[in-house]
Amino acid sequence: MNTREITVTVNGRRHTRTVEVRRTLADFLREDLGLTGTHLGCEHGVCGACTVIIDGVTARSCLQLAVQADGAEITTVEGVTLPDGELHPVQEALRDSHAFQCGFCTPGFVMAIYGMCEEKKAGKPVPCSRAELREELSGNICRCSGYQQIIDGAEAALAAAKEA
Amino acid sequence: MAGGSAISGLVGARVHRKEDRKILTGTGRYVDDVQERGMLHAHFLRSTVPHARIVSIDVSKALEVEGVVRIFTGADMSAIADDLNFAQPIPGLHSPSYPAIARDVVRFVGEPVAMIVAESRYIAEDAAELIEVEYDELPPVMSTKAAMAEGAPQLFGDVVPGNIVHTDEQLFGDIEAAFAQADHIVTDTLDQHRWACNPMETRGGVATYDRGSGQLTYEASTQTTHTLRFLLAGWVRHPIHQFRVIANNIGGGFGLKFSAYREDVAVCAAAKAIGGTVKWVEDRNEHLIAAGAAREEQLTLEAAVKADGQLLGLRVTMDLDAGAYPINPPATVYTGLVRTTLPGPYRLPAYQFRHNIVATNKASYISLRGPWAVETLVRERLMDKIARTCGISPVEVRRRNLITLADQPTKMITNVTLENVTAAETFEKLVSMIDFDEVRREQEEARARGKLLGFGLGTFIEPAPGTKDFWAAVGFPFGAEPARIRIEIDGKVTVFTPQTPHGQSHETTLSQLVADELGVGFDDVRVVYGDTDATPFSMLGTGGSRAATMASGAVVYGSRELKKRVLDIASHLLEANVDDLQIVDGVISVKGAPGAQVPLAQIAMGCWLAPEQMPPGTNTELEYVASYDGEGGGFSQASHACWVEIDQETGDVEVKRFLVVEDCGKMINPAIVDGQVIGGVAMGIGGMLLEHSAYSEDGQYLSATFMDYLMPTAPEIPDIEIEHLEYESDKVIGSRGVGEGGTVLAPAALLNAIDDALAQAGGGRVTTTPVTPTRVLELLGVIEPD
Repeated sequence: MNTREITVTVNGRRHTRTVEVRRTLADFLREDLGLTGTHLGCEHGVCGACTVIIDGVTARSCLQLAVQADGAEITTVEGVTLPDGELHPVQEALRDSHAFQCGFCTPGFVMAIYGMCEEKKAGKPVPCSRAELREELSGNICRCSGYQQIIDGAEAALAAAKEA
Repeated sequence: MAGGSAISGLVGARVHRKEDRKILTGTGRYVDDVQERGMLHAHFLRSTVPHARIVSIDVSKALEVEGVVRIFTGADMSAIADDLNFAQPIPGLHSPSYPAIARDVVRFVGEPVAMIVAESRYIAEDAAELIEVEYDELPPVMSTKAAMAEGAPQLFGDVVPGNIVHTDEQLFGDIEAAFAQADHIVTDTLDQHRWACNPMETRGGVATYDRGSGQLTYEASTQTTHTLRFLLAGWVRHPIHQFRVIANNIGGGFGLKFSAYREDVAVCAAAKAIGGTVKWVEDRNEHLIAAGAAREEQLTLEAAVKADGQLLGLRVTMDLDAGAYPINPPATVYTGLVRTTLPGPYRLPAYQFRHNIVATNKASYISLRGPWAVETLVRERLMDKIARTCGISPVEVRRRNLITLADQPTKMITNVTLENVTAAETFEKLVSMIDFDEVRREQEEARARGKLLGFGLGTFIEPAPGTKDFWAAVGFPFGAEPARIRIEIDGKVTVFTPQTPHGQSHETTLSQLVADELGVGFDDVRVVYGDTDATPFSMLGTGGSRAATMASGAVVYGSRELKKRVLDIASHLLEANVDDLQIVDGVISVKGAPGAQVPLAQIAMGCWLAPEQMPPGTNTELEYVASYDGEGGGFSQASHACWVEIDQETGDVEVKRFLVVEDCGKMINPAIVDGQVIGGVAMGIGGMLLEHSAYSEDGQYLSATFMDYLMPTAPEIPDIEIEHLEYESDKVIGSRGVGEGGTVLAPAALLNAIDDALAQAGGGRVTTTPVTPTRVLELLGVIEPD
């Protein structure tokens, strides 16, 4: 078995593990670190359920190998929730809009919208109109909601995110 | 608004969902999140050919892979599990039984031919590549027409003669007389494609066999724990009292997860044989190929109508492509649903319905959100065609045939009672919200830009949950719904429901109902579901849009019984008349006498710890199983309008606007109703425009990734405008289901809009779906048909 040692910081905690070089980052997060909030909906990079933030950039953890994340800082849905267990404003906005139903795609949307809010806070341009938001979120599939209430929540979350 | 505590009047409010904290923070427990010590992983090797005899299968090299624990071929599995058998005593039904893993013959691409159990999924997949299967290929049958042709290859020999699983004809009224009186005979056809449920969470389960206790536990992604339990217990030869099925978070179902599947059998049998835990989670590729798909049906219609558009009679034939293997329920339920529902909310004096359910070399035909939906699709398209034939508008043809509230109670020609049905009222409301002059102006303006703006509408009724005579006509038991309710020792409330919610928000809605009924806080109610050790039995679980009426009724009546008991005790303690008592925020008090009160918690503690000290003659049992029979049941209804813009150069169809007027009676939580409606409409749009479970003529599956099977994403779906009517009947439980309607009706309004657009350019009418850009260009005459 071809393995390598990697060190990854996930949600602020450093982990050093030996992994098979073919192990996907998603499997590493879910099975090796027990962070099962990141979901696998297609494992070929279309559905977006496995979206995480790697060094400040939203990415699909099913399309990366764990070894590629060596040295990286990763945020998963578990890391978005505030340290005291309270919902992050992005999560609150999505709850308030009744955005989701079965919840399987939810972590991917939370991460994609959280990523946009972080970009806005950093002064980067973000989608403004609902049409732009729909385009921006077209890399995440939800089978339940028809997207409307997700867009409502994303709009509210972005409006609330202020440039630092 | 917040859930909080101490609020009465929760029913009807946009209460926050209880489910949301879990799912938004990634702390749910979906099947793939389960990790047990020593857990093994199953992977299925699947057939690469659509129809063949298995000559040989050699697993020797695969067994040498380090980490492979066991490999089960069809023969191995047959030694430890019975064949799946969904046969029911339905006259004329030919329902073949079949092994969990193919033994002698494979009948579709994707059929399991071996199961590898290994220490990791990676290893199991490595090993699968080393299994050698020799097939003796047989000619595949890839359409209902080919299957029913003279001399067609027979999938199951004499077990399914002529590949016809079931055929039937039913007559209602005097059909000959209807056609003899007709001024016009209007015909129509529809050839609907296969499309699929595609929940974001695929199928899967984790089976654990405890050698010490002999208990087998299956944690599964299912819509119906109790049915899964009794089916699997039989097939894996395990005593049912030692078999527990659990469902935690379920990532969507849409009808798919209503059945037990051969993989479920194999995984449970393997866990028992190995004596440990085996996990199986299908990947998307397997899911698309092997989980089954829906809606592949061909219909022809012939309507007898008067010159003024009045319907006199209707002849319908339906061929349903069942795929190879039957699942639960039998496909006769679907044809029964289509037959029974097709007349819809219209007066129809005479009706003939024929169907063939046909076996082909494809994955199973499965239930998909409103599995009868084709009845509304073909009927609403036929109404538009009748309008054109008679020279009246689509609005007028419906008005002349719709059954209004003033006409009720009445019976459909299919012997179904219609009462409190407001399809006509939703339709009038819809019409009143549309400026038809503006539509015409926009159409002219679009044509000036080289685009085609189409407008279409439709109306329908949804058996949610339906009436008893509806289900009798379909040939499926209606079934009462139980719920167990317990007031705990501290006055908090636990509700046990056989519903298996997977997005429908029953933890929230049932809590709203119980909190209001018992006068306790929303956060003081917990809903337990999905554990056959804890929840009362129901064959149905969550499906058929039953819960809004049936589960609601069960918890409301259960709460009322417990409230009666509590107030009876309180009336002794407070020396007051029961009728003068109220429970507000968990405190029982005498109305108008603020001082006289006793906390519910105090009574609960007395009942649990010292029942003998409670007032004599009172019932201190604070746990109660209620059963609700539906009070005759009923329908929900809606009308939809759709605006599309077609690009004549690319063939692209854009849904510009979508309007829904729906009436599901009393809404328990309007935000949840909106979510169901919007999600349903989106699924209907995706199904008609994008999604296709396609096979090649030689039986290969062509849509095996999300790059081939196109799911609707946010830009393809417009904001859906929704108007609610909330007609209040005299029923105690006035709520009707709303989960399936969007998917049932949206395709009809959408295709009517597309036809309207195409007609403006002299194009042809849609008779085959999906309506892809290629199909649009063919209908516009831009390119030659394939």
